[in-house]
Amino acid sequence: MILPRVTLVAGLLAATTAYAHETSGQHGGRVTDAGKFHVELVAKGETVDVFLSDEGQKPVPAAGFKGTAILVVGGKPARVPLAPADGNRLTGKAATALGASPKGAVQLTGPDGATASGKFN
Amino acid sequence: MSTRFAAAYGAVALLAAVLAGPVHAHEGHDHGAAPPPVSKTIAPRGEALSDAFELVAIPRDGTLALFLDRFRTNEPVPGATIEVETPDGPKVATATTDGGYALPAPWLSKPGRHELVATVTAGDAVDVLTVAVTVPDPKAVAAPAKPAPAQAALARVSEVAHGVRERLTAKDPTLVAAVAVAFLLGMLVTALARGRRGAPAVALVAIGITIILGTAAFAHGDEDHGAPVQGAALIEPRQGGPATSDLAQRLPDGSVFVPKPTQRLLVLRTTMTEQGSFHRSVELPGRIIPDPNASGVVQSSVGGRLSPPPSGLFPRLGTKVRKGDVLATVTPPVQAIDVSDMRQRQGELDQQIAIVERRVERFRRLATTGAVAQTQLDDAVAELNGLHDRRAALDKIRQQSETLVSPVDGVVAQATAVAGQMAAPGAMVFQIVAPNRLWVEALSFDALTAAQDATARLADGRTLKLAYQGTGLADRNQAIPVQFAVQGDASGLRVGQFVTVLAGTDTEQSGLALPRSAVVRTGNGQDVVYEHTTAERFEARPVRVEPLDGGRVLVAEGIGPGKRVVTQGAELLDQVR
Repeated sequence: MILPRVTLVAGLLAATTAYAHETSGQHGGRVTDAGKFHVELVAKGETVDVFLSDEGQKPVPAAGFKGTAILVVGGKPARVPLAPADGNRLTGKAATALGASPKGAVQLTGPDGATASGKFN
Repeated sequence: MSTRFAAAYGAVALLAAVLAGPVHAHEGHDHGAAPPPVSKTIAPRGEALSDAFELVAIPRDGTLALFLDRFRTNEPVPGATIEVETPDGPKVATATTDGGYALPAPWLSKPGRHELVATVTAGDAVDVLTVAVTVPDPKAVAAPAKPAPAQAALARVSEVAHGVRERLTAKDPTLVAAVAVAFLLGMLVTALARGRRGAPAVALVAIGITIILGTAAFAHGDEDHGAPVQGAALIEPRQGGPATSDLAQRLPDGSVFVPKPTQRLLVLRTTMTEQGSFHRSVELPGRIIPDPNASGVVQSSVGGRLSPPPSGLFPRLGTKVRKGDVLATVTPPVQAIDVSDMRQRQGELDQQIAIVERRVERFRRLATTGAVAQTQLDDAVAELNGLHDRRAALDKIRQQSETLVSPVDGVVAQATAVAGQMAAPGAMVFQIVAPNRLWVEALSFDALTAAQDATARLADGRTLKLAYQGTGLADRNQAIPVQFAVQGDASGLRVGQFVTVLAGTDTEQSGLALPRSAVVRTGNGQDVVYEHTTAERFEARPVRVEPLDGGRVLVAEGIGPGKRVVTQGAELLDQVR
């Protein structure tokens, strides 16, 4: 039963580091941690692109992944389903135009069913 | 010499063989296991923070329980919409009776780490929070993972060693016998192998020594070998999944774990610490006094008998009176000698009145004829009037009483009047106090120059705002009286009540201002504040506090700005064991 506590603490640490970790990425978006991956969020107009890479910033093929981006636009949450596109990119279309850097979160479901989520402030 | 060494080797080998079996049979609990952690009673949970909200998610029995609070104040957020991303699309959690939210989540029964995204809408605040919850594997909980072969071998060795140690300390007869027999066999075998002639003699000596040693050892073998005492720490907590309710507890690292439902029961509230600059203040002992210009005493100037005012009732304690209201009358008693004196005087006056009346009548008749001058008649009339006045005054003085009137508007604070009571001259009969105009008189040991921002703290923790009125110059008990007027609501105060006055001085001081209730004095006399470190964890931080004003203290050291500190319920938190 130490395990849940350890994971709790680890999760908390991950959560706090996620705050500090947000940096700009190779595609001009914001990068944050999501589980064992790094995700880069690029929101342009109505299009949401999410690039997936591992800890070493090596691209991870997006095939088999599913995703959802929830972004707060104008005080309202917008839910954007993401589908794998070419390479390590997942993409989706929002109903309305997104701002320059909307805050929100991205949830990814891997081919093995494991979920990972990253938060963007 | 070598014979004995070989015998010893034999003894060790046999001992190991003998002990290996019984140790194996001696089952029940694992000696190598560490005591179970205290947090076994805490269900796995995940939490998320943002600058507006704090969310705790607890998966339990196929349901995801969510608790949403404000980040800064720890106030529960009722009526919020929490939408959680599930494999079946977004689902909205429903509010529960205990102030939380619940979401049926059969998909959470799968063990492992689940990362959830919750969209929180409360009023016009929208936030997206990511929460990671780890569902424990029920199989892993029921049967601990099998150790690797190398570890198993090590464990076996440690078990054997443990068994030997235990038996040695218990002076187990089996052990003694095993050692003795092994020693004996070893000696015999070695002697035979070497084929010495003295072998029978050696064998005889060996048997003798063994028997002596054996009996000596057995002489100690009368200890009670009853049921071994089982330490409380070894009692296994109940198995089978996470506990249904979490308990507030102090964790081994000294922090306090308080689950969200308990936090709501204890009404824990926090505030964010902010660095600021404040005027240093001094604490003075003080006492409530009535405002000298809005209070008064009613005293009788003459000694006499008290009687109620025309209304028939004395005003009682707490009665509202207005300035000029008659509160009582005092009738001075007339002494017996005075009475006879007065009666004599009365007779004399009556006699003179009768004479002068006749004279006036006569003069009036004669004045018309001119036999008596008009001036003579006027004199006689004046004399008669004077005599009548004196007679009337003599009558009146016997009934005249003094009326006692209220000097100010207020309520009766003290009343000693009883009908028929004899009041001494100068004795206080009533005290009138205006309840909304009270002052505080404090004693200061050094001259307060500019006593700005003064507050008074009552014993029950209430604070009063004070306005500086003046400082006396005459020394009283080695101190100087300083007077303040109570501002605002002064209800519930009584004259003479003790208060602590905190008067601001000119010197400035920087620190964190916290409510007085945030600081708790622990058992060892140290002042601590509780920092809200994570959603359900509070850590005690020893601090150095200095007086600031009636309601707040200044934390000079021990905690930095930008921390969440418990301001309400800290005392209760300190009681968690």
